[in-house]
Amino acid sequence: MSEITRMVVVLSLIAGFCSAALTLANVQLGPKIQEQTDFYVRGPALERLFNKPAKEVLKNKVIIPTETGDVPVFFTREGDKVSALAVEAVGKGGFGGDLKIMVGIDLINERQTGMEVVSHSETPGLGARIEEIAFRRQWNGLPIDEPIAVTADGGIIDSISGASTTSRAAVKGTNEVLDFIRLKKAEILQRIAKL
Amino acid sequence: MAQKFLPTLTAGLWKRIPPFRLVLGLCPSLAVTMSAENGLGMGVATGFVVMLSSGAISSMRNIIPAKVRIASYIVIIATLVSIVEILMKAYFFPLSEQLGIYIPLIVVNCIVLGRAEGFASKNPPFISMVDGLSVGTGYAISLTLIGSIREILGAGTWFGMPVFGEWFEPMSFLVTAPGAFVTIGTLLALQNLFSRWRGEKFIQG
Repeated sequence: MSEITRMVVVLSLIAGFCSAALTLANVQLGPKIQEQTDFYVRGPALERLFNKPAKEVLKNKVIIPTETGDVPVFFTREGDKVSALAVEAVGKGGFGGDLKIMVGIDLINERQTGMEVVSHSETPGLGARIEEIAFRRQWNGLPIDEPIAVTADGGIIDSISGASTTSRAAVKGTNEVLDFIRLKKAEILQRIAKL
Repeated sequence: MAQKFLPTLTAGLWKRIPPFRLVLGLCPSLAVTMSAENGLGMGVATGFVVMLSSGAISSMRNIIPAKVRIASYIVIIATLVSIVEILMKAYFFPLSEQLGIYIPLIVVNCIVLGRAEGFASKNPPFISMVDGLSVGTGYAISLTLIGSIREILGAGTWFGMPVFGEWFEPMSFLVTAPGAFVTIGTLLALQNLFSRWRGEKFIQG
């Protein structure tokens, strides 16, 4: 076997074997990672959105299939009635990639209860300030029947200074959630009732 | 082989303890040693990667063609690092959030590639793994030490437990980035002074 063929074959074999090992690890541990993310990231976010301990609400989860993928929706009950939803959405077009956010919807008062960031890869000190309460609390009590926008686009959300891309991504994600609720509210409630 | 075993096992703990003697792997040593816990976590993760990659590379040292050896090493190391990352996310989630980008960056840690090129590519698998274990343990000890100093003096705690009374005013300078340079520089100086006092041959670098 000539030297060059040998190099190609050996390198391909090593790469193939490594990919197999990685895939195996990812498939085996994927659910466990999901569980940990629920516990450490979604849990605290839900606690703030619903004002209830995470343990009670983490299990209240339905997955709604859409054309663009599955959307996880968390809910909480007031008596027998479903009182609030938390919808996870992807805010497309963040500065360092897509944001994953969660928007709380109060079904009784038809208001938003807040916006939480589940994961992001924004610049520390600029876009990463999206996690700060000063930015997020602007969502508290917004109506759910009209789309929101940043002030530069004629809306009411003050962008984080130096990070308008990130702010717009969060706004975009929120508007997707509002659309989603408008279209799928009946289906969500139906699925929750079936649980 | 037997006469090589003990020197190899202890070399990583003093003779070539990273990052002080090897002066490799300084980037994570500076960046993630804000606390003893972070230092230990990073050290153990790196040690695990060094040991397994040394073993894997050494057992394949006769198959890998010399011209593509670095590429092959990097593929093997990157796989091990990704597996460590997945394991940490699954079992030590808060720690993996703390260490963040520095876990994937173990791939380009010079210690790992240095031991692969300098030791594992010339020695049989078992002794290479012993070498990886020893260097990895040395690294974990060093990072824990740096982290402990910075955490105790900079925050007044050790592994999260308070060590001083109420009167202690933490030197928060030490837990910031410049504090890392000062701590590592001071430790490096002390270690060089000690080596010179003992009359050791100067083997840094």
